[in-house]
Amino acid sequence: MTKVTISRLTKRFGTAIAVDDLSIEIGEGELVSLLGPSGCGKTTTLRSIAGFVEPDVGQILFDGVDITSLPPERRNIGMVFQNYALFPHMTVRQNLSFGLEMRRVARNEMAERIDAVLDIVQLAGLEDRYPRELSGGQQQRVALARGLVIEPAVLLLDEPLANLDAKLREEMRFFIRSLQKRVGITTVYVTHDQAEAMVISDRIVVMFDGRIRQIGDATKIYARPVSREVADFIGLSNFIDGRVKARSEDGYYLVETPLGEIRCRSELTLAAGDAALVMVRPESVRLSREPPDNPDLNGITGRVRDRFYLGNIAGYRVLCGDGSVLQVQEAPWHAGAVGDTVWCLFKSELAWIIPR
Amino acid sequence: MDHPPIALDSGPAAVAGASVAPRGGRLVSARRLPKNSVLLILPTLLFLACFLVAPYFNMLVMSFRNPSTSAVYAPGFTVANYTRALTDPYYFGVLAQTVVLGAVTTLICVLIAYPVAYHLARTSSRWKGLLYVGVLSPLLVGVVIRCYGWIILLANNGLINNAVKKLGLVKLGLPLMYNSFGVGVGLVHVFLPFMVLPILSAIQSIDPALEDAARSLGASRARTMARIVIPLSLPGIQAGAILVFVLSISAYVIPILLGALKVKLMPTLVVQLLIDAFLWPFGAALAFILAASGGIVVYLFIRATGRLMRGLR
Amino acid sequence: MTAVAAKIRMRAGRALFLGVVAAAYGFLLLPLVIVVLASFNSGELLTFPPEGFSLRWYEHFFNSEPFMNSLFFSLWLAALAMAVSTVLGTAAALYVVRFAGRWRDTIRLLIVTPLLLPEILSAVALLFFFYSIGLGKTVIGLVIGHVLITLPFVFLAVASVLYNFDSSLEEAARSLGANKLATFRRVTLPLIKPGVISGALLAFIVSFDLFAISLLLKGIGLETLPIQLFDYVTWDFDPTAAAVSTVSIAITMLAVLLIDRIVGLRSLRF
Repeated sequence: MTKVTISRLTKRFGTAIAVDDLSIEIGEGELVSLLGPSGCGKTTTLRSIAGFVEPDVGQILFDGVDITSLPPERRNIGMVFQNYALFPHMTVRQNLSFGLEMRRVARNEMAERIDAVLDIVQLAGLEDRYPRELSGGQQQRVALARGLVIEPAVLLLDEPLANLDAKLREEMRFFIRSLQKRVGITTVYVTHDQAEAMVISDRIVVMFDGRIRQIGDATKIYARPVSREVADFIGLSNFIDGRVKARSEDGYYLVETPLGEIRCRSELTLAAGDAALVMVRPESVRLSREPPDNPDLNGITGRVRDRFYLGNIAGYRVLCGDGSVLQVQEAPWHAGAVGDTVWCLFKSELAWIIPR
Repeated sequence: MDHPPIALDSGPAAVAGASVAPRGGRLVSARRLPKNSVLLILPTLLFLACFLVAPYFNMLVMSFRNPSTSAVYAPGFTVANYTRALTDPYYFGVLAQTVVLGAVTTLICVLIAYPVAYHLARTSSRWKGLLYVGVLSPLLVGVVIRCYGWIILLANNGLINNAVKKLGLVKLGLPLMYNSFGVGVGLVHVFLPFMVLPILSAIQSIDPALEDAARSLGASRARTMARIVIPLSLPGIQAGAILVFVLSISAYVIPILLGALKVKLMPTLVVQLLIDAFLWPFGAALAFILAASGGIVVYLFIRATGRLMRGLR
Repeated sequence: MTAVAAKIRMRAGRALFLGVVAAAYGFLLLPLVIVVLASFNSGELLTFPPEGFSLRWYEHFFNSEPFMNSLFFSLWLAALAMAVSTVLGTAAALYVVRFAGRWRDTIRLLIVTPLLLPEILSAVALLFFFYSIGLGKTVIGLVIGHVLITLPFVFLAVASVLYNFDSSLEEAARSLGANKLATFRRVTLPLIKPGVISGALLAFIVSFDLFAISLLLKGIGLETLPIQLFDYVTWDFDPTAAAVSTVSIAITMLAVLLIDRIVGLRSLRF
């Protein structure tokens, strides 16, 4: 159980800034995901924690001890690579014992620990196979086991599920998460897949262009994104531009938009006349033939332009007054048709003003 | 939706017996191979048959002919050439010296080439292309010129000895040439690129993530090299060693220029017998014995290293 | 060990490693550099530091009839060997990559064999053979010997380009209506040209520097430049040899530069 502190980490490659003054504290036993598009600096950050990248500025501390100048082999980390990096000339057992040999673990203890970890990842019986004789999912679990068997202070995973097919990926997410909880090891997990981050993390760190944009748990990140970038990266969103008209006593704002007046929430303190960008998630919107019947409900009218059926949802694209398109998700059995005139209804609570 | 119905079976119709999907760069018709493509290879095959296969076969036959003092060979056949070569201590000694020098050269080449190859494979410096040229370009300069450079350096009144004498370090200078040392230096220098290239290729095919993984597990750089990189690059080392060994034992120019008459190696001997003494059958026999010895050493080497490469497929 | 000590140790280790690598490169290039430098030395060869800059050895070289004759002969021989082996090698590569079927590996091995066998052995074998068929010590025999060694280089260069050739380009041409010959002329040939040219240049360089084959197969009085140089070096140490060597290196480097321009040296992966 180790606390990881990153303080003002900065790394440049040539003229490009990969990580820009990044600071974060990761608690003991916490699983934190670094989430962002390619090139956002998440992998560089991870490799800095591992020691493969030397920061230009900044420090990395494990439990308050500055390890920034230590080489990777001295940091007591466990790392799982995207393509597993299993040693092809060694059997599974030899791959697992490698780290233990480096730590001079006694032979019998080594055998015990290897057997135990193979049980945990459900690969008992495959010790004498070579990596090329295993399936992708099995190789992935060996890579995981290899990182865990040494009982490191911190576990680092670099997009470990990227090379698996969709179904396996979903299963493995839960597997990794329950494993991590069981062992209680501080974990940093890099991914570009937001669903993955949301499933497994205690906290998600959203990164763009080398900087942290938002840190929070899945609910916070999804429902209360701090910027349009973050909102756009996680899930689908509708954005409506407007101006603040007034603030009501119970903390809601009234925003005047080309599509009508919207009652919404915000963390900011805004004055009348301020610009406001309202975000509404498609699944928050209901289609109805009637306009809203209570003040807590917002309503925007329009005509259904497209309808598509995805099995688990029915998606709509509604053309509104000023030419903008509203994305709506309804239950799959919802019967709407292209051309219908509808009201898009959503609760005030589910409309969120994004800080510009 | 108002889309016109799509006719699913129109489009480029499959004409009976026409092209099958091309595979791997070949345009193959499902019928027969066009006969005139063979014309492409015929001249080369004829050339090789006449000037590669036939001459070697002829040389093999020559090695069994009776020697003659008045012509290149006498009528009749014999095994005496081979028995003489293998039992006469002088010739056997020359063979041994050749093989040993070849082995030593190979070993030194491995030791020098490995760091160079590893560096070239892993460096991200912008001089990488230039370094690559640096390794390759000596190959493209003639062997005579490369030896000449060493002559300038190693001769008794050459650059190194001049400096050494001037500095008063060794009065009479160091014997760097006209001995096995000089020949060895020449051999290592000339064949070093042949060791670098296969090892380079082998290391390049090793995923750098493997080295990262080893280090993340606690292995120092040195242990990572010993446990991961070197074992996985063994095929490259093996290929390079075989190549350099075979080249070293067959080197002709280098021993002559850097060893003169003091270092007697098989290729020199063979040419001497042919050109100076006109003992063609015996010379031929010696040539084959050299080739066979090389082959045996290589075979044993492959067997020995084969066990080391067990886990690599 | 403290963190600082670990860092120092790491830095020292790295410095040592780079030192060894630099020394190795130095070892590889030192003789060549020495030869070029010596060619410009105004004094006798083996003095250090060099006495001064002079071109007198080049004058020697260009005024020396034997050297000039051998230079032109080598150039002519290399050009001829290049031409023949390029034609044969390109055709062979086309066949092996496209049409060979199950003979592919066997033929490929056969073509490359002259490179795997020691040059001196092949030279001896050809010497015997030519003698018995009457081609001993003729120019034709010499050319054949050179082609034997240079042919594999052209073959490998063209074959490697063909292997990497994207066959969908030809498929696109055919789908647009071009027949086999037109496709070859307009699509395939222009795209493999770099491979052919680099193979040809490689053949030229190799032939220019060949020694053992030339030594055993040459006729009386006909020396190639390497042989002339060899004779000179075994009897005399003066830097005329350095001047000759430098000119030879320059010719080689020119060809290498051309290859790099056309194809890039890094693509010469066999």
